[in-house]
Amino acid sequence: MKKTLSLVLALALLLCAAPAFADVAADVEAGQSMTHDELVARAQAETGTFVVYGNTSRITTAAEDFGALYDIPFESNNLKDQEIYTKLRSETGSGAADMVMIQDGAQLTDAIDEGLVINFVPAGVKDAVSEAEQQPALVHQYINKLFIYNNLGDAVPAIQNVWELTASEMKGRVIFKNPESEKVNMNFLVMCTKPEWADRLAEAYRAWKGEEIDLGGYQNAGYKWVAEFLANVTFGKSDTSIAEEVSQETAAGTIGLFVLSKLRSSSVLTDNLTVAAYDAAANGYAVEPFAGFMYPMYTMVNVNANRPYTAMLFIEYLMSEDGFKPWGKNIGAYSPNPALAVNEGDLPIDAWKACLVMEDADYILESFDVEDFILRHCQN
Amino acid sequence: MDAVSARRRAMKRIRGRTLAWLTKPANIVLLVFAVALTVLTLYPLLSLCAETLTIHPGREARAAQQTAGELSLYHFQRLFATRENDYSRIQFYEPLLNTLLVSVSASLIAIVFGGTVAFLVTRTNLKYVKFVSAVFTFPYIMPSWTLALFWENFFKNVNIGLKTSNGIMAAVFGVYMPEWFVYGAFPIALVLGLHYAPYAYILIGTMLRNMDANLEEAATILRTRRARIIRRITLPVVRPALMSTFLLVFASSMSAYSVPVFLGSPVRYYVLSTKMKSLMDSYPGQAYIIASVMICMGVVILLLNQRVTNSRKNYTTVTGKSSRISKINLGRANYPLAILLVVLLLLVAVTPLLTFAMESIIVKAGDYSPGNMTLDFWIGTNLEARLDQGDSTGILLNPRVWSALGYSLSLAAVSAFVAGTCGILLGYGVAKRRGSRLANLVNSLSFFPYLMPSLAFGAIYLAMSAKLPWLRGFMLLALVGSVKYLPFASRSGLNAMLQLSGEIEEAAIINGVPWWKRMLRVICPIQKTSILSGYLVPMVSCMRELSLFVLLVPTSNTLLTTMLMQYSEKGWAQFGNAINLLIIIVVLLVNFIVNKLTGASIDKGVGG
Repeated sequence: MKKTLSLVLALALLLCAAPAFADVAADVEAGQSMTHDELVARAQAETGTFVVYGNTSRITTAAEDFGALYDIPFESNNLKDQEIYTKLRSETGSGAADMVMIQDGAQLTDAIDEGLVINFVPAGVKDAVSEAEQQPALVHQYINKLFIYNNLGDAVPAIQNVWELTASEMKGRVIFKNPESEKVNMNFLVMCTKPEWADRLAEAYRAWKGEEIDLGGYQNAGYKWVAEFLANVTFGKSDTSIAEEVSQETAAGTIGLFVLSKLRSSSVLTDNLTVAAYDAAANGYAVEPFAGFMYPMYTMVNVNANRPYTAMLFIEYLMSEDGFKPWGKNIGAYSPNPALAVNEGDLPIDAWKACLVMEDADYILESFDVEDFILRHCQN
Repeated sequence: MDAVSARRRAMKRIRGRTLAWLTKPANIVLLVFAVALTVLTLYPLLSLCAETLTIHPGREARAAQQTAGELSLYHFQRLFATRENDYSRIQFYEPLLNTLLVSVSASLIAIVFGGTVAFLVTRTNLKYVKFVSAVFTFPYIMPSWTLALFWENFFKNVNIGLKTSNGIMAAVFGVYMPEWFVYGAFPIALVLGLHYAPYAYILIGTMLRNMDANLEEAATILRTRRARIIRRITLPVVRPALMSTFLLVFASSMSAYSVPVFLGSPVRYYVLSTKMKSLMDSYPGQAYIIASVMICMGVVILLLNQRVTNSRKNYTTVTGKSSRISKINLGRANYPLAILLVVLLLLVAVTPLLTFAMESIIVKAGDYSPGNMTLDFWIGTNLEARLDQGDSTGILLNPRVWSALGYSLSLAAVSAFVAGTCGILLGYGVAKRRGSRLANLVNSLSFFPYLMPSLAFGAIYLAMSAKLPWLRGFMLLALVGSVKYLPFASRSGLNAMLQLSGEIEEAAIINGVPWWKRMLRVICPIQKTSILSGYLVPMVSCMRELSLFVLLVPTSNTLLTTMLMQYSEKGWAQFGNAINLLIIIVVLLVNFIVNKLTGASIDKGVGG
């Protein structure tokens, strides 16, 4: 009895002891200067299943192709951004992700500061991508959410100015995902209050109304627009379902703010939808002061990676033309690498950068009181 | 000399008593459970309290302007007393009121609906009783979001909510329901009430079936009117069951997450559980406070419940019913009433399945013409090129769906086995030592997991597993499942044991039969159905559980329910509907097979 007990205790102690981690940071440091062949050799020498977390469904296709190419066993998981951050904080040891593909620059900045993830820039990418897109985190792609409206009926909301969305006749006809349920949406609203965007919103107001903006109690035009926009918004469940709903024949007069790539989905009646930015470009004007927003998706190595070199090799692969294919074959995803052209019918990345609100992690990180303001206006 | 020997004698006596105490298996069982449950429920509870006082890294630390890990009252101050931007009102007070309103209404709806049906089934000569009885538990067996989704799909229209499409009611019948009917407090309370009505049906039904008929007969002989008999005799007798139902439905509705999300968010109606989930993402400290508040509300109702039920000293027994209860003759009202009930049950329990089947075969949303239908989402291949809806094969050909099904089934089976077995042992220990302090402690501890909101329970175990690297994957999920569903199993275990009179075991003790043999050969066979039902309820609940496991699964493809959530979040409605239907069919099948093979059933599991 005593023997069994001590055996059990010893076993328990062994199991409780924290597993020794390889120094992933040092590996990544070394990996930055390795050639492709060296990376392949190191990656293939690693053992265990290669685990990927990503908040895009197409990461699975990319991982499948990668696994087949290098004969590496993998497990790919499509998770929500928040789940990935939660798991990064709580999962250590075997089974934890080796590599993550993730959005929300503000939270990522925190995760980097906490030492949860490490940035890796493959040698071949250094010259192909701008410095700002390499540091502090490597951008794999940009995703845009655009104002897209139902083009049926008499009251088509073919907006030329975002202030039109705040008009009383638009009440309940604007559909957007709840900013509480996906942070990139919150980030967009926060960015509208940043002085440079607030100024442009004030200017746009003048163009729309023909008079100076009356701020009332609001701090700047950004706050005013956000409050009045949210007052007209109905929250949809997901970008796909918003796309489906706005495309219905019965949905004349409605407009959504959702991911452009959803237009690829077979369940969406694409013919009934018009992208405000496309329509504006075709008719020689621009939606003032923005036609939607755009945010980066980053690739990072987990500090607890069991296969750090495989993670680096996968990032290198993702940044290549083949690795970008699962996204590049459709509209609505843009590589920071100008060599990878966008889809036919889509606009180049620079055109989007000029007309969409981009994330500024530093401003968002400082602005938690703006989030309170936004939450207040997400309420009735 | 005398003092020494006196001390020796005293020591000997204590040792003797302790040994004697330890020779009773019931005591050992209770001791083991007291320790295990303290670790498994009190520890999470304490760590929950600790979390409410700790600053978490990231956004929270920055907003609080404190370093992560620091102890602070910041979360309390912020959640309860921030006037700026109406923060406290929006994040806490209003959701709290909404939660109270919804949970109390749901409890009342469940009691009235379930209680009425229970009364009709047990005390009247209603027709189609067998059908009603069988189908009534369906809403409980099905995941709760099933009804919510169905409600929305059925009643939505272009005048309300997203204002984009018409559901069946508007499209087919031209009836446009008002917003309060489709979204917000009313449908949330109603859907939850219907979902948990089986609790009321089972608890109240058992009481009505087993109540002593002499009281009512005496009243009948004295020519008391029917209504007066019901008011003065029947209702007081079932009062403990009413209270228990209230407790169960209130606690469950309070922590329900998916129903308020589906039916509340389109009209910006939030409850505590939805707020907890969104706070968990950015301000976990405040989320844990909400969880604590929910637990406190549960405890208050639990204490009230104990007060009411403690006054009732006698437990119903297996034997000893003297006379048959006279059944009320419904007369001419019988058929209309029976048909109304059957139609209602078909609407609540069967039509959702048909709509899920329908939604899983159409390509473009909202178009129900035959040309838009396909079985691709079930059995298609190479779908990515044609449909681009995420998956490349139909769910029945998708190996990940099958492995998730296997994982879900084995998780449910293991959790049910552990919870069920512990439930029997616990029931045995508590019944044998009824009234002792240890028994009361173990009994209360075993009910505790029920009061912990699933999401918070999962979050705490996730934090716990971070410190114990071996507690991962299946082991973690099975442990959480077992502890969370122990209350069901221990309730039915205890009820089964309380019904057994002591002589039965004593006869075996006199013959020198060892304890384990007494359990296996004597006690368990007698109460076979009750005990097996104690396994079935955790099994079924586990199969359709989402919020408990959502943070703990290694990947979202691990369980069928997490897979379903992922699909519906991505908006892949057809795959989602197909998987939902698959889950329901599997759960119904498991329930049916276990029921046919062993006679165990959900109603016996909850009711005892």
